[in-house]
Amino acid sequence: MPRVVSVHSYRGGTGKSNFTANLATVVAKQGKRVGVVDTDIPSPGIHNLFCLEPEAIDKTLNSYLWGESSIEAAAYDVSANLNLPEPGRVFLVPSSFNADHIARILQHGYDVKLLNDGFRRLVKELQLDFLFIDTHPGLSRETFLTIAISHVLILILRPDKQDYQGTAVTIDVARQLKVRNMLIAINKALPSLNFDALREKVEDAYGVPVAGIFPLSEEILKLGSEGVFCVATPDSPITQEFNRVAQQLMID
Amino acid sequence: MAEHTERKDLASLASSIQAVASPFRRYLSDLHETYQSLNEGAVADYIPELTLARSEWFGICVTTMDGRVFEVGDCDQPFTIQSISKAFVYGLALEDHGREYVNTKVGVEPTGEAFNSIVLDEATNRPYNPMVNAGAIATTDLVEGNGNTERLKRMLDMFRRYTGRSHTVDMPVSLSEKATGFRNRAIAYLMLNFGMVSDRIDETLDLYFQQCSILVTARDLAMMAATLANQGINPVTGERALDAHYVQDVISVMMTCGMYDYSGEWAYRVGMPAKSGVGGGITALVPGKLGIGTFSPLLDAKGNSVRGIKVCEDLSRDFGLHIFNCAPAEHDLTAWLDGDRSVDEW
Repeated sequence: MPRVVSVHSYRGGTGKSNFTANLATVVAKQGKRVGVVDTDIPSPGIHNLFCLEPEAIDKTLNSYLWGESSIEAAAYDVSANLNLPEPGRVFLVPSSFNADHIARILQHGYDVKLLNDGFRRLVKELQLDFLFIDTHPGLSRETFLTIAISHVLILILRPDKQDYQGTAVTIDVARQLKVRNMLIAINKALPSLNFDALREKVEDAYGVPVAGIFPLSEEILKLGSEGVFCVATPDSPITQEFNRVAQQLMID
Repeated sequence: MAEHTERKDLASLASSIQAVASPFRRYLSDLHETYQSLNEGAVADYIPELTLARSEWFGICVTTMDGRVFEVGDCDQPFTIQSISKAFVYGLALEDHGREYVNTKVGVEPTGEAFNSIVLDEATNRPYNPMVNAGAIATTDLVEGNGNTERLKRMLDMFRRYTGRSHTVDMPVSLSEKATGFRNRAIAYLMLNFGMVSDRIDETLDLYFQQCSILVTARDLAMMAATLANQGINPVTGERALDAHYVQDVISVMMTCGMYDYSGEWAYRVGMPAKSGVGGGITALVPGKLGIGTFSPLLDAKGNSVRGIKVCEDLSRDFGLHIFNCAPAEHDLTAWLDGDRSVDEW
């Protein structure tokens, strides 16, 4: 059965897109057909990680929301950029980074029902095993929707008071929406921290399992979003941690 | 920070989003996709304004007794209510005069005749039922009020109580109906001859043409049906739209006469009290459970929306919504509405 995984954080800058791209890639490496939708319409960016060049992008999620194209016409097969073995595949639906397109969405809004219908169609048309949704930070109608339709909601937080408080709000909303499964991923943790103690503290505070802890990494910074870390560095402990998170998504 | 104990806004947004994400809406969405390509039937053309309707327009909306709204397609597109108004105005006449008096002016017997036939019951001189034009005009005549303006305002206010929003009359449609309504004029004068309507014929006919030209949406039709299904109380606003004593009267004539001369077949196949209009709308209900509103202007030869009938047939069959159904249905309505894990497939 296809699974929908939403990746969300309350605050910006938590590394959500980076996390989503890496997780989607390690899942696809296990032979899965994976879709990634960038619903961060006001500030899209995940296409950079998948090395999808601006000149290669014609249709976007925006085109679909405006009724100008089907959603599958806005899906780009980026598998070649990820050295994926068959039958693994990653399809990316980017949002437009054209300022006028962003303005148009902000001006007129869109019906979130379309987003829901588009996700379903994408899963069906591309015969996806997994659909990853990269969201805009904070809470909005779109995040409510993506939380409500997810089989797994992954909340990213940094060890930081603003993130702790915001995550509590998101968890409150997610429970109101009767979310099926919730996981927390801690990102940008100082390597000097005691990771086991951190995990225990967070799990106790929220009653939500911590799927993985990722250190603040100079290597990731060096990559500067010009590629997916797990592809460039398959043997790194960070890649291993992504594999562990991926395993938790495979369990029914 | 002040914490609202009820957290009404969070609950309300969460509920509307859950409706979008629910398996039941996925079901409706599949129905919509299936029948969108069905291009049988024709748009009504007895007045030019109605031919402007686009054949691809198609909306499906279902509203539950706890006020949840599940919608797919063109549920915000306004169109004229046409004959659907007849059922609701019948309720207003009942409130104004009581059952006994209304029964002396209009019967409750289905007729095999077309909706615009010029025929009255030979023994009583009454029109057969409030859903044929003759019965509807006699019913409109019963709406109380001082002059056309007040009577129209009372009607519009009644529709507001059913839908929770204010309504207007489409003037071009209303004037066209008036300019070409010779047959309805003849019916009214025949009834005047038998003393079945008062002599304010022109005023009542104007009101009747206006009543048929009130603008509604598929979402309105679902809410109106849900209100009837909810003992006459709008499930969202909590306002009463119809005296509880008369809900059964209105629903009964919808059940026996609501779908023009397809009513018998409809009762057999679908088994929901319903009313259709040549604007393309159908309002249908399952008492105590839900209200359905569909909109698609392609009509069959009997004047019913082709896609609307298909949608109601499928809903009735798949969820066991036929009023007399006692066999287990393929889908459990509650599980599909609530997003139970048993129906979690994507």
